[in-house]
Formats: sequence, structure tokens, C-alpha cells
Amino acid sequence: MIGQSMTRIDALGKVTGETPYPGDINLEGQLWLKMRFSDRAHARITAIDTSQAEALPGVVAVFTAKDVPVNEYGLVIKDQPVICGPGSDMPGSDIVRTYMDCVAVVVAETDAIAAKAVKLIDVTYEDLPAVFDMEAAMEDDAPQLHADSPNNIICHYRIRKGDMEAGWSQADVVVEGVYETGYQEHAYLQPEAGLGYIDEEGRVTVIVGGQWVHEDQEQIYHALGLPPEQVRVIYPAIGGAFGGREDMSVQIVLALAAWKLQRPVKTIWSREESILHHHKRHPMRIYSKWGATKDGKIVAAEAKVIGDAGAYNYTSNKVLGNTNLMVTGPYEIDNVHVDTYGVYTNNIPCGAFRGFGGPQGAFAAEAQMNKLAEALGMDPVEVRMKNVLREGSLLTVGTPLPKGVTIPQVVEACAEESYWRRGDGAWHLNRPPQPDNPALRRGIGFACGFKNVGFSFGFPEQNWATIELHGGAEIEEVIVRQAGADVGQGAHTVFVQMTAEAVGVPVEKVRLLTHDTAKTQTSGSSSASRMTFMSGNAIRGAAQQALQLWQDEERPAIATYQYKPPKTTPYHPETGESEPNFAYGYVAEAVEVEVDIETGHIHVIKVVCANDVGVAINPQQITGQIEGAIVQAQGYAIMEHLISNEGKIQNPFLSTYLIPTVLDVPTEVKSVVLELADPRGPWGARGMAEMPFIPLAPAITAAVHDATGVWFDEIPMTPDRVVTKLREHGIGIL
Amino acid sequence: MSMRPANFDYQRPTSLSEAIQLLANNDEAKALAGGHSLIPAMNQRLSTPEQLVDIGRLDELKGISTNNGTLSIGALSTHAQIAASSDVRTHCAALATATGLVGDPQVRNWGTLGGNLAHADPASDPPTVVLAAGGTLHLQGPNGTRSVSADNFFIDLFTTDLQPGELITRIEIPSLQGKKNAYVKLAHPASRYAIVGVCVVLEMNGNECVSARVAVGGATPKATRSPSAEERLTGSSLQVAAVDAAAEALVNDIAGDVMGDLFAPEDYRRAMAGVYLKRAVQAAMA
Repeated sequence: MIGQSMTRIDALGKVTGETPYPGDINLEGQLWLKMRFSDRAHARITAIDTSQAEALPGVVAVFTAKDVPVNEYGLVIKDQPVICGPGSDMPGSDIVRTYMDCVAVVVAETDAIAAKAVKLIDVTYEDLPAVFDMEAAMEDDAPQLHADSPNNIICHYRIRKGDMEAGWSQADVVVEGVYETGYQEHAYLQPEAGLGYIDEEGRVTVIVGGQWVHEDQEQIYHALGLPPEQVRVIYPAIGGAFGGREDMSVQIVLALAAWKLQRPVKTIWSREESILHHHKRHPMRIYSKWGATKDGKIVAAEAKVIGDAGAYNYTSNKVLGNTNLMVTGPYEIDNVHVDTYGVYTNNIPCGAFRGFGGPQGAFAAEAQMNKLAEALGMDPVEVRMKNVLREGSLLTVGTPLPKGVTIPQVVEACAEESYWRRGDGAWHLNRPPQPDNPALRRGIGFACGFKNVGFSFGFPEQNWATIELHGGAEIEEVIVRQAGADVGQGAHTVFVQMTAEAVGVPVEKVRLLTHDTAKTQTSGSSSASRMTFMSGNAIRGAAQQALQLWQDEERPAIATYQYKPPKTTPYHPETGESEPNFAYGYVAEAVEVEVDIETGHIHVIKVVCANDVGVAINPQQITGQIEGAIVQAQGYAIMEHLISNEGKIQNPFLSTYLIPTVLDVPTEVKSVVLELADPRGPWGARGMAEMPFIPLAPAITAAVHDATGVWFDEIPMTPDRVVTKLREHGIGIL
Repeated sequence: MSMRPANFDYQRPTSLSEAIQLLANNDEAKALAGGHSLIPAMNQRLSTPEQLVDIGRLDELKGISTNNGTLSIGALSTHAQIAASSDVRTHCAALATATGLVGDPQVRNWGTLGGNLAHADPASDPPTVVLAAGGTLHLQGPNGTRSVSADNFFIDLFTTDLQPGELITRIEIPSLQGKKNAYVKLAHPASRYAIVGVCVVLEMNGNECVSARVAVGGATPKATRSPSAEERLTGSSLQVAAVDAAAEALVNDIAGDVMGDLFAPEDYRRAMAGVYLKRAVQAAMA
């Protein structure tokens, strides 16, 4: 079963339209909920008058801060009020800190009435000074957003390795850059939607799309002040996530309304509401300085990373932790000095998004590497091979990587399968010819990357699975209970494949129970490229025990297994020393672009992606992940420009926030799938879903540099930015 | 955002004169042809006419023909019909190109040239071509018929010389057969509207350009000619320096009028107007 491109178990229902997504589900007697959001970036709400909304015929209830039993939530730090406004006993919850704060919730007989009623709510604001630039927010005189975070600093990580002075003194060349990365919107197909109701056992139940049913359940019961068993979360089909459904959107208010009213309550966000009111990928500013000897060995790397968390933490302290580790790339460097800050501002909150801090770190690291290659007159593949992490290499945090370090093989495979040839003991680039049209310039770029699989830095990591073997003389049915979210990546198909393999039955005998806190135990989130790795180990453990029971004649044979990977540790506060992760994925990409130097358009002609997946449990899904990640990363690098003006998003529509369509995707994507087993992975599998995203942006900037001679240290490289920068260098139109 | 229009009355006259009468009788009435500008505006409540006068089935406003080489295009001709017309391809290839680049197939199959010109959307393609080609618009209203050159027809953003109750009946374009002409555009990736569109019409005598007409749209509030660019091209052999000079002249001519948005700020559009002039000349001479 492992290694087969089995047809997805959800394919038929999805392509025929029979499978319901959260917005498709209705219950008799349901009411409609609409959220009213803040009209200010930073203000104290001194009064809120809901009387006109309540008087509107068809309005059933209006909830404000005073109605939320425990008015706080947050995935890592509970720093955000469920509803902002007066009347709550939670300190600071009368303040809005961003335009996406909720200030009231209306429940009405119809969606239209609810939409009309939210506009009738009169909110009185007393403006507070606001801060929108992440570095300005760190100044002593900046407005403070949260009492317990002086200078708005959520986290400050340090890495101190070796002796910087000694490092710089060995350096023959030094390269520097200030790198700026932009927001990115998840733009999943299905905007937020859900339905809250009281189930047959009296539990407040929320049907919604998410990434971790048990975490949603925890956020809800905490805010409602209920015992865990009183709250149930169910996911139907989920229309994409990419990290954007890790944090709460409609979950708590739906549960609150359903609980208070004891009636079903439904809501569906528009695309505009979705873009305006869920978190984004962090914009980061990265100052980086690297030195190398003339034979290409990096001897010193220094970086300062600042990430704009927006008004609430979400997962910012975790995201910045990743960037701190990845901003010096997958290289063994003896002397390293990194400071990384996550900072509160009055902008939209930022959080998880495919790559989780990795892409920003890689953008700076790989650009630095490519600049070093240029400064040294050395091939970019060659210089990487002199520095990449190898088996036994020490990370910047002073500890070795887990066994199975395959970045050298990945880099070489990518080079060989793209534009490089090995000869005379070194790597050489073979450039394709330039087009005849002088306005069009082609170039080749290379970048590589690594990222953790699974939760990092001491965060509790585990995954539960239950296997039930039913039958008499032989196993007739296998029930696997595994909560892991299938956000569209195909996790559930892989659960079935792995269960069939572990038990030794055909996939037709396997039935999956999932996506329901009432029927499963926690499996952690579908994030951090971890679900195949974690669930596979749990399923394998449960299957082994169940098969033993089956041999012992138990009918049915039922076993539950909790997989716990080796423990990780947090950064040492002064040196950063730690065992950050228990598993990694490795990736490299070569890109060919064509730049129209007059219009600033960048066309990605070809991407070659070499990704070590350990073992491809479902090869078709692997290439699907690679192609999807590349298109999404291409959007990040070139097209997707979310514009925020004093905390207010200016382009909350897919007509103005442009994502790649079929007209924009690369002409060719070549997936080079390596299967170099991870000793800890189930059947050797590694996580892979984020990897192909990570090096693409710096590979594109390298290719654009190859084409034009100009370094772009800021993304997205929208046409007007490209034209402006090229003109500064006397290229294109003058 | 509302996605339904306000209430309105609907009339479908059977003759042009009846249509004009209906429009003349009601200041709050609007003519409906293909509906691909009006209906979206109504759905967003940007336009709330009391009455729609559906002229879409009036045969008097249909058909494409030539008369002594002059193209005559009925106002109700759809973009798709114009793009596919061999007469248009022969006599005004740039218009065939431009109408073929409007919106998407659904828009091209419903949207009409007359409706498009009357709407005068600055980001639209056909006005730029009709202007560069030296077209004439034939109008009919309660006070009879008249004709207006494209040079005088487009007044400002969504504003034309059309008077209350007047309709465009047909558009005449002198044959450009023998002249080099082309329309090129930089389209917004989502809407496909022109960020910049440029049309050139070049009369060549051997290697020498003896007359030139240049119009730009998209970047400016209305389709706009560039006399300075025309001057630079006229008398030249379209060598690189002359075309570069024309591009610079075009940019200077429109400099104060350029509009910008989040995707394509003013500076970018201004620069692109020059680039697309060069590309239009290249396309015309190809």
C-alpha cells in the first residue's frame, strides 16, 4: 500500500459536489450570525449601543464583551479578547488593537437581517496612539499594546556560537543585505464558515474547518468557561488551510451563540471578510552579514530579524523561533550571532502559514549565499556544497541534527536534474540561450532549504491512534481512529494507506473515523509538515499492538497508541543552545525566469524541485504538494502584495490581491522526489508539505539577478517595483 | 456590496425612433444594449435608472459593411463579431485586435461597440483604437441625426458628447488598408482591463513615416491622442531613436493626466505608456 498513488478516498465526493463543506451544512431552525469588527486600529471602546440593532425585526440577540464568560483566547498566549468592549472583567479587553478585532456579534433569523443589524451598532471609540512599523514599535516611547510585553517585544531569541571577531578576521569576502518580505494571504478556496448547535448529548458543538479539532475544542471551552467534555468540534471537508485555520475565526462566537440561545447558529464569511479578519504570513525585516574565505567556506554569519506579529501573538513566538534557526541556512558555520524579535504592532495579526518562518529566513540566507557566490566568483551550487550540513554537523544552536541529513544529496540531485553539470571536480552552470527580443532576459537561480518536521523547541509533541480489528477467523474490517485534519493535502488517504500497510489488509477493509473530538483523541495539528510522520508512527504502534491482541484471540482486537517523538528543548536564553527539532526535511530548487526589463514582468519558465520525502507513501500526492507549494511560493515572490495602510488592508479582494492563476504558473515544474529514509519516520517517511515553498523566492531573486545583474532584496517583486529598481540601475527604460 | 440592482421599469422598443422617444421622455431612463457595463454598475447600485430601454434587438443598429473602403459598424455589433469580421481585419486590423482583447469570451459575445464607446470607460480598449483610426460616431436623438469625430466625442472619465436621448447608431472608420496599424495593451491580471493600451496608425512611404496617429488609453481618464509623439514619428524612418523619442514625447504629453491604482501606480503607468507605444510601432511594422 505504501508507494502507491491510490485514488484519494475523498475524490469522488468532492468532484461530484456531494461532499459538504462547513458552509453547505444547514440545520432546521438555524439562526445566522454576523460579526461586527473594529473601526479603529487602536482605541478604547467607551460605550457600545446595541439597542437599534436589537430593535430590528428578526434580530434574536446581540452579544458583546460582557457576554463572554472568559473573554480571552490565543493558540500560544491568550492575549486576544473574543469580543472587545466594555463590561468584561478581563483586563484590557475594552481595547481594540487592530481592525480585525470583533466588537459585537449579531444573531438573527436571516443572514441579511444580521448583516443589516451589525451596521446599526453604535460604537464609541476613544482613539489611542497606534504604531504600525515593527522597528518603531520597539522604541521606548512607542505605544504599548500589551502590559506584559515591554517595548512590544513578544520574544527575543539569541544565538551565540563561536567567536565573531575570529570569524570576521578569517573572512576574505563579506556580503550584506537588508531583506524585506511582505504579508501573504492564505487565500484558501473556502472562506471561514461554520455551524454551532447543541448535539444529542447536550454538548455545544461546532462544525467548522480547522487544522486541529482538539485545539479548537480547547479554545472554545476555555472562553465559554465549560468543562472540556461539554464542547465538541467536528470538521466536515476542509477547503484548504495552509496554517490559516490554526487560529480561531468563527469557532468561539458560534459556540457562544449556540450555547446561549440553545439553537443552531450559522455563519459564512465573504472573501472580503476572510482576507480582512484572519491572520497573515509575517512581514519581516532581516539585516544580514556573512563572511567567507576565498575558497568558499563561510566563517561568520550575523543576522538581526524583526517580525511584525501584529496586534496579537497567534503563533508569532513560534514562527520567529523558526526564523531564528533558519536565517543562517542549512549550513555549518562556526561563528554565528543572531538576534530575532517578534513585535506587536497595530497591524493585522500574523501567524502560521506554510513554512512557518522558514521562507523568510531562507529568503535572507539563500540571497546571502548567492551573493557570496558572486563575490567569490564561485558557482552557487559549488559554494553550497562546501558549506551544507552533513551527518554529524552541528547546528548554530550547538547540537547535531538528527540522523539522516540529506541536504548534500538533495542539492546535487537538483543541480544534476536542472542546469548544472559536474566536471573537473566542480559544478558548472549551463545557461540556455537568451531570447532574440532584447527586452526579455533569461536567468537561472538556485536555492536550497531545510525545515523542521513536527513541533519544535520543547512544545509537547504527540499523536494518538486507535486501531480496531473486527472479524472472526480473519480480519474483516479495520477501524482506524485518527483525528488528523485533512485540509486538502490528502492526509486521510494516507492514513488509510498506512493502516492497510501496518495491519496487512487491503485498503478496502479500512474505515477511518476522524475529525471529531467525540470519537478520537488528539493528534496535534495538520501543520509543520508533521501529520504523515506523526500519524504514521501512531498508526504503526497501534496496529502492532492490535495485531498482538488479535493473535491472542481477542475479538475485536482494539489498541490505542500514543506516539511521542524524542523530546526537543527550547533555546537557551543567552546562547540559543538547544535541541530544537526531532526531524527535518530537505529541499533544493533551480529556477529559470524570463524578465521583461521594460514592464517588470517576471515569468517563471521552469522550476526543478528536489525534495527528500524519505518514502513517498502516495507519490501523486507528493508531486501535487510540490506543484502546489511552488505556485503558492511564486505568488509570494512575485505577485501577492497585500497592502496595509495604517493597519487597514487596502486590497481585500481577489480582484486586487492577485494570486497566481493558470495563466501565471510556471511553464514546467519538474519534481525530483528523493527517497532517503528518515530513521525516525514511519516506513522512513519525512514530512514534506512546506519544503518546496521555502527556497523558491530566493531562487527566483537569484534568477532575476542572473538575468539583469540586479539583486532584489524585497518581495513581492511586483512589476512596478521591478521597473523602479531596474531603472535605478540603468536597465530597461531610462 | 449589493449584487442586485434597484427596481426598474423595462421597455423593449421595436424601432429606433420609438427607442429615442422613450429615452427622450424620461431623464432617468437608460439604453440597454449588451449590458456588460451597465448591468454591473446597476448591480453595485452605482447606476439606478428608473427605466431600461432595451435596444438590443433593433436591426437598424446591426451589421458591419464597407462603403468605398470606409468601414461602417452598427452600434450593436458585438466585440466578438467585430474581432471576427474580415472587413474589419482588412480595413482596421487594430480594431479587430482590440475587440478581441476585451474582457473574456462572455463579455465579447454580449458587449457591443456602441455601448462600449458610450460608456467611455478609461480602461476600455475600443475607444483608443477608434480615436487613433480617426473614426466618426453617428448619433441619433430627439433632434435628429448628427456625426461627431472620435477626437471630439470623448470628453472625460465616463463622459462623452452624447446628449440626453441620443444613441450611437453606427461608427465609421476610414479604411486603414495600406497603413500600418496596431493596438497593444498591458492588461490588469485579474480584470483584463487595460492598464495601458496604445494604438498607432502609420502611413509609410517606403521607409519613411509620412503621417502618424497615436492614441493611448487605460492610463488616462479618456482615450487621448499624443500630438508630440505623432510629430516625432512623422518624417522619421521609425528608427530606434525616433521611436524612443516618440515614446518620451507620449509620456510627456499625458504626464499630468495619468491615473494610478494599487497595482499600477501613476509612475508605472506613465512609463508603460512609452513602452507600449514602442511595442505598438513594432507590432504595426511586423
